[in-house]
Amino acid sequence: MDVEVTQDYQCVGKSCLLLQFTDKRFQPVHDLTIGVEFGARMITIEGKQIKLQIWDTAGQESFRSITRSYYRGAAGALLVYDITRRDTFNHLTTWLEDARQHSNSNMVIMLIGNKSDLESRREVKKEEGEAFAQEHGLIFMETSAKTASNVEEAFIDTAKEIFQKIQEGVFDINNEANGIKIGPQHAATNATLAGNQGGQQAGGGCC
Amino acid sequence: MSGGKLGKTRIWLFLIDNLETWPGPKFSSGFSCLVSSQGYPWGLGESHFQSDLDGRLLLSEGQYLPLIEVHKPAILPGKLIHKLCDRVASSTLLEDRRDAVRALKSLSKKYRLEVGIQAMDHLIHVLQTDRSDSEIIGYALDTLYNIISNDLEEEEQDDSEEENSQKQTEDLESQFTEIFIKQQENVTLLLTYLEEFDFHVRRPGVKLLTALLKQQGPQVQQVILVSPMGVSRLMDLLADSREVIRNDGVLLLQQLTKSNAAIQKIVAFENAFERLLDIITEEGNSDGGIVVEDCLLLLQNLLKNNNSNQNFFKEGSYIQRMKPWFEVGDDNAGWSAQKVTNLHLMLQLVRVLVSPTNPPGAASSCQKAMFHCGLLQQLCTILMATGVPADILTETINTVSEVIRGCQMNQDYFASVNAPSNPPRPAIVVLLMSMVNERQPFVLRCAVLYCFQCFLYKNQKGQGEIVSTLLPSTIDATGNSVSAGQLLCGGLFSTDSFSNWCAAVALAHALQENAPLKEQLLRVQLATSLGNPPVSLLQQCTNILSQGDKIDRRGSKVQTRVGLLILLCTWLSNCPIAVTHFLHNSANVPFLTGQIAENLGVEERVVQGLCALLLGISIYYNDNSLENYRKEKLKQLIEKRIGKENFIEKLGFISKHELYSRAAQKPQPNFSNPDDMMFDHEFTKLVKELEGVLTKAIYKTTEEDKKEEEVKKTLEQHDNIVTHYKSVIRVQDQELEDLKKQVESLKVQNEQLQARVTQQVSQIQQHKDQYNLLKVQLGKDNQHHSSGNDVVQMNGVQSEEISKLREEAEEWKHKLEQLEEQLREKDSLIEVLKSSPPAVGTSEGSSQTKTGLEVESELHREAETLRAQIHLQTTEIALLQTEKQELLQQMSAAPAPVPGDRGTETADLEGRFTALLQETKELKNEIVGLAEERTSLKQQLDSANSTAAILRTEKSALQQEIAESKKEQDDLLVLLADQDQKIVALKNKLKELGEPVEDEEDTESGDQGEEDEEDGKGERED
Ligand SMILES: Nc1nc2c(ncn2[C@@H]2O[C@H](COP(=O)(O)OP(=O)(O)OP(=O)(O)O)[C@@H](O)[C@H]2O)c(=O)[nH]1
Ligand SMILES: [Mg+2]
Repeated sequence: MDVEVTQDYQCVGKSCLLLQFTDKRFQPVHDLTIGVEFGARMITIEGKQIKLQIWDTAGQESFRSITRSYYRGAAGALLVYDITRRDTFNHLTTWLEDARQHSNSNMVIMLIGNKSDLESRREVKKEEGEAFAQEHGLIFMETSAKTASNVEEAFIDTAKEIFQKIQEGVFDINNEANGIKIGPQHAATNATLAGNQGGQQAGGGCC
Repeated sequence: MSGGKLGKTRIWLFLIDNLETWPGPKFSSGFSCLVSSQGYPWGLGESHFQSDLDGRLLLSEGQYLPLIEVHKPAILPGKLIHKLCDRVASSTLLEDRRDAVRALKSLSKKYRLEVGIQAMDHLIHVLQTDRSDSEIIGYALDTLYNIISNDLEEEEQDDSEEENSQKQTEDLESQFTEIFIKQQENVTLLLTYLEEFDFHVRRPGVKLLTALLKQQGPQVQQVILVSPMGVSRLMDLLADSREVIRNDGVLLLQQLTKSNAAIQKIVAFENAFERLLDIITEEGNSDGGIVVEDCLLLLQNLLKNNNSNQNFFKEGSYIQRMKPWFEVGDDNAGWSAQKVTNLHLMLQLVRVLVSPTNPPGAASSCQKAMFHCGLLQQLCTILMATGVPADILTETINTVSEVIRGCQMNQDYFASVNAPSNPPRPAIVVLLMSMVNERQPFVLRCAVLYCFQCFLYKNQKGQGEIVSTLLPSTIDATGNSVSAGQLLCGGLFSTDSFSNWCAAVALAHALQENAPLKEQLLRVQLATSLGNPPVSLLQQCTNILSQGDKIDRRGSKVQTRVGLLILLCTWLSNCPIAVTHFLHNSANVPFLTGQIAENLGVEERVVQGLCALLLGISIYYNDNSLENYRKEKLKQLIEKRIGKENFIEKLGFISKHELYSRAAQKPQPNFSNPDDMMFDHEFTKLVKELEGVLTKAIYKTTEEDKKEEEVKKTLEQHDNIVTHYKSVIRVQDQELEDLKKQVESLKVQNEQLQARVTQQVSQIQQHKDQYNLLKVQLGKDNQHHSSGNDVVQMNGVQSEEISKLREEAEEWKHKLEQLEEQLREKDSLIEVLKSSPPAVGTSEGSSQTKTGLEVESELHREAETLRAQIHLQTTEIALLQTEKQELLQQMSAAPAPVPGDRGTETADLEGRFTALLQETKELKNEIVGLAEERTSLKQQLDSANSTAAILRTEKSALQQEIAESKKEQDDLLVLLADQDQKIVALKNKLKELGEPVEDEEDTESGDQGEEDEEDGKGERED
C-alpha cells in the first residue's frame, strides 16, 4: 500500500512541462526522471535577456533526499500537481513544508495544476487550487504540458516575479546561494520547479 | 639502524615504568627508541629530537636522555594502547583525554591494527562528546585518518615481509572503514566537523572523509546523499580561503563525485563549474600547478557521461571559459611536465563534451558553441604551431577531430584552415602528409586518420572536395602544390603497409554513403610507368591486391591487403556500376575465389573473409549487366569452387576477429601497435549491415531466386491491386471530403437559418415593443379603455385580445354613433334655434374592412414565400440524404473481399475500409442529427412566422384603428368647433335679436376638448 502511494506522486508532468518550455514538444510516454535533469531557456523580461536554468527533479519518493539538495540556491520553484489525481493535490502541504524548510525564504513558488486538457477526468477543482495558493501565498496557474496551454506563462511569470524581487532588492544578487547571477550581458535566474515532492528547479548562470 | 646516524628525526618516545614488561613490537624501520623514566607510566607522544653519537637524546628543552635502541622485544603496544584507551574512556580531565588521544595518534601509524581495533570506539566517542575542544577533535580525526588511510608516504618499506604486511593493512583499511561507516551517524557527525572553521578540525576531517570515500566509495556516497544538504555543504570547502583546505576539498570532491551521477549533478548545481574555472584561471591555466590538474580531474568527473551536467555546462556558457586555456603562444618558453599534464586534461575535457558517444543533439550543440566562441579556432592554431610536444599535438588533433565530427559548420571551417607556410597549405594537406609519412609517430598518424575521418563524417561537401582532387579535370597539372588526392594515392601505393592501410581507409571514408562519388571515382586514371597506358584507380587497387606478395614492403603484408579490401568493399557496396567495373576485369573473380578457397594460415584469414565479403557484394549489388557474371553464374561458381558452407564460414572470419570488436566500439582508431590496425569503425558498420543479407543471398538456390522473381512479380501484381484499391480509396476519400464539405455548408446554412430565427425573434420583440408602445399611446388617447391593454401579449392570448380590441372598436363605433346622435340632436337644437339651420355632414364611413383585407393578403403572400423556402430546404435535405445513402451503399459495396495472399496489406486495406465506413456512418449520423435539427428549426421558424404574421395583422389593424379613430376625432373636433362657432354666432345673433340664451350651452361648447367626459355628461344628461 505504501509503495502504491509513493508511486502515485510521480507522473504529474514536470518533465513534460520542462520539455514543452525548452523544446516546445510533448512526450506522451512517461520517462521516469532519475534524480534530476537539467534544462535551460533564454527569455526576455523587460527587454533584458535572462537565462532560466531549470532543474527537473524526480517525483519518486526514493529520490527525495537528492531532490532536497536543489532547494537551496534556487530563486524560484514550480510546484506541480495533477488535476486528475487528488492524491497529488493532497500531498502539496508536505511538499511545501519540505521546500520552505530547505530553501531560501524569498524563493518564489508557483503552484501549478497540470493536465488541464483532461477536463473530463478532473478531480481537483480550479477553485481548490486557487484557494490553496491563496492560503500559502503562492501564485497559481493551471497548465497543460500536452496542449502547451499556460506553459510559457507559468515559467515566465515565475521569472518575472523573481525579477521583480531582484529589482526590489529582496534578493542579494551577489550571493550565489540565491540562485541569481548577473553576467556581463545577461542576467540569469535560478528557479526551482518542483512537483509535489519532486519538482523542477531553475538555476541561473550568465552568458 | 644505529642512533649515530640519526640527525634530526621524528621519533616516538615513550616513558614507561618497566621496560621488561614490553615484549612487543619490532620497531623495525626508521629509528625508534624507548626512554625509560622513573615513575612515568606512559609516553610523551610526538616530539622532535636530536641525538648525539653517544646515544643520548637531545630533548627540545636542551635536556639529554639516554637512548636505548630496541631490538629485542621490549614492551607490548597492545597493552599500552589499552591503557591509553582506558584513559580516553575514563579520565574526567580533558587534558588527560587529550594527551591520551595524542598518544594514540602517535601510535596509530605504526600500530594501525592495534589502535584501530582498540581505539576506534573511543575515538568516535570523543568526536561525539568533546566537540568543544578542537584540539582533541583534531587528534581524534588525525588518528582515525591514520587508521583508515593507506597513505604510506612516511613509512619506509624495504623488505618483503613489510610488503606482505602492507597487503594485510590494505584489507585492514577497508575493514576499519566499514566499521566506521556502519553507523551512519558517524559519517553525519564527521560532516558536521567539516563545517567547523578551525583548521585543526577541518583539515583532518576533510582528509578522513576523503580516505573513507577512497575505501568504500559507494556506501559513503549514499550516506552523504541522504544526509540533509550533505553534498552541498561539502561544496563550501572550495570557498575556504586557506589554500590547503581548498585544495584538499578538491581532492575530496574528486572522490565524492566518482561514478555517482546524482552527486555530480548536485555538485554542479552548487556552482562547482564556476568555482573550479575560477581556481584554474587564478592559478594561471595550464601554467598552474597540481591544483589545476586536480580541478581538471574533478571537472572531468562532473562531465564525463553526465548529459545533464554537460547541458548545464554548455548553457552556463562555461565552454567560452575554456578558450583561454589553449592560448599557448608560439614562443613555447617551456613545456613543464605539469603543463603538459594540464593541457592534456584540458583537451580531454573538450573531448568529453563532444564525444561521439554523447547523444547527437548534445554533442552538436557543444560543437557549435566551440566554434562560436573561437575555441575550435584556438585549437587549430595549436595544430599548426611549431614546437608543440608530440603528445600534446596528437591529443589536439584528436580533440579537433571530435569538435568537427559530423558538424558541417566546423568541418567547413576546418577545410579553410591553412598552415602558416609559404605558400600557405591547407591544414588537411599538411596533416595527410604526416599520415603517410612513416617517420612520424604512430599515434600521431592515427590521430590524423581520425581527424580526416571526422572531417568527412556526414560531410558530402568535404567528400566531394577530396574526391575532386583526384579527378582528371581538376588535377593541378603544374605540380606546384600537393593535393589531398595525390597524397592519398601516394599512400595507397607506397611501400609502407601502414600508409597503405591509412590511405585506403581514408579514401573509403571519402566514399561513405555517397553513391555519386563512388561512380565519380571510377573515372580516376593513374599514369603508371612510361609508355604504358594509364590504368584506372580501381584496376590499380585490384592489381596491387593480387600482386601484393611480390612487392617488397615495410610492415605487414596482410595490412595492405586488408586496407585495399576495405576500400573496395566500401566502394562497390550499393554501387552496381562499380560492381560492373570490378567484374569487367576478368582476373578479379578468379583471384577472389582462389583466395577464399585456399587453405591459408591464421593471419590470412581476415583476407579470406574480406575476399568473401567483396565477392558477396559483387553478387548482391550485381545488376546482371555482364552476361558472364550474372548473379546466378557467380553463385554457381561459389558452389563449385568454394562450397556455400565454406564461403559463409570464411565470411564469418571478419566479425570473429578479435580486432574487429575493438574497432566496432568507437570511431577513434585506437590501437597500440601499427600491425593491429586492421579494421575501421565505419567499416565494421558496413560488415554488420551486409553479413546477414549476403548470407541469405548466397544460400538462395536458383529456384529460390526464380521463386523470388515470381514473388516479385506477384508482388508487383499485388502492388497493382494495392494501387487499384488505393485509387478506390482515393476516390472515396474525395467523396468523403465532398460530403464533409456538404455537411460543412449545411452547417453554415443551419447557422444562417438560426441567425434568421434569432433575427425574427428580435423583430417579433420589436413588434411587441412597438405594439406595447402603441397600446400605451392608445391608452393615453382612450383613457377610459384601461382594461387589458397593458398586458404583454403571448402567442396564445392574442386572439382573445384581438377580440377584445374588436369589442373596443365596436364600442368606439358605438360612441361615435352616440356622438353623432348628440350632434344630430345639437343640430336639431341649432335647427330649432335657427329657423333655417345649415346641413351638417355626418357621413364618415370607415374603410376598415377593406384595409384589413389588404394586410391579410400581404401576410398570406409572405407566409407563402416562407413555406416555399421551407419546402425547398426540405427537398434539399432529402436530396442530401439520398446522396448519402448512395455513398453508403457504394462504400459498403467497395470493400468486398480483397483477393491476394499478402495478408498484411489486405488487412491494412480492410482496416482503412472499415475506418471509412465508420467515418461515413458517423457522417450519416451527423446528417440525421442535422436534419432533425433543421426540422425543429423549421417548426420554430413556422411558429415564429405565424406569430409574426398574427402580430403584424394585429399591429396593422390596431394602427388602422388608431388612425381612423384619430381622424374621426379630428373630424369631430373640427365639426364641433365649427358648430360651436356657429352656435356662438347664432347665440350672438340671438342676443342681438334680443332672445334669451341658456348658460348651459356655453359650458358645453367650451369643454369640447374633453370629449369623453363630455360624452359621459351628455349621456347622463340624456
Ligand atoms: N494529458 C496530459 N498528459 C500529460 C500532461 N503532462 C504530462 N502528461 C503525461 O503524464 C505522464 C508523466 O509525465 P512526466 O512529465 O514524465 O511526469 P513527471 O512528473 O516528470 O514524473 P517523474 O519524473 O516520475 O516525477 C506522461 O505519460 C505524460 O505524457 C498534460 O498536460 N496532459
Ligand atoms: Mg520527470
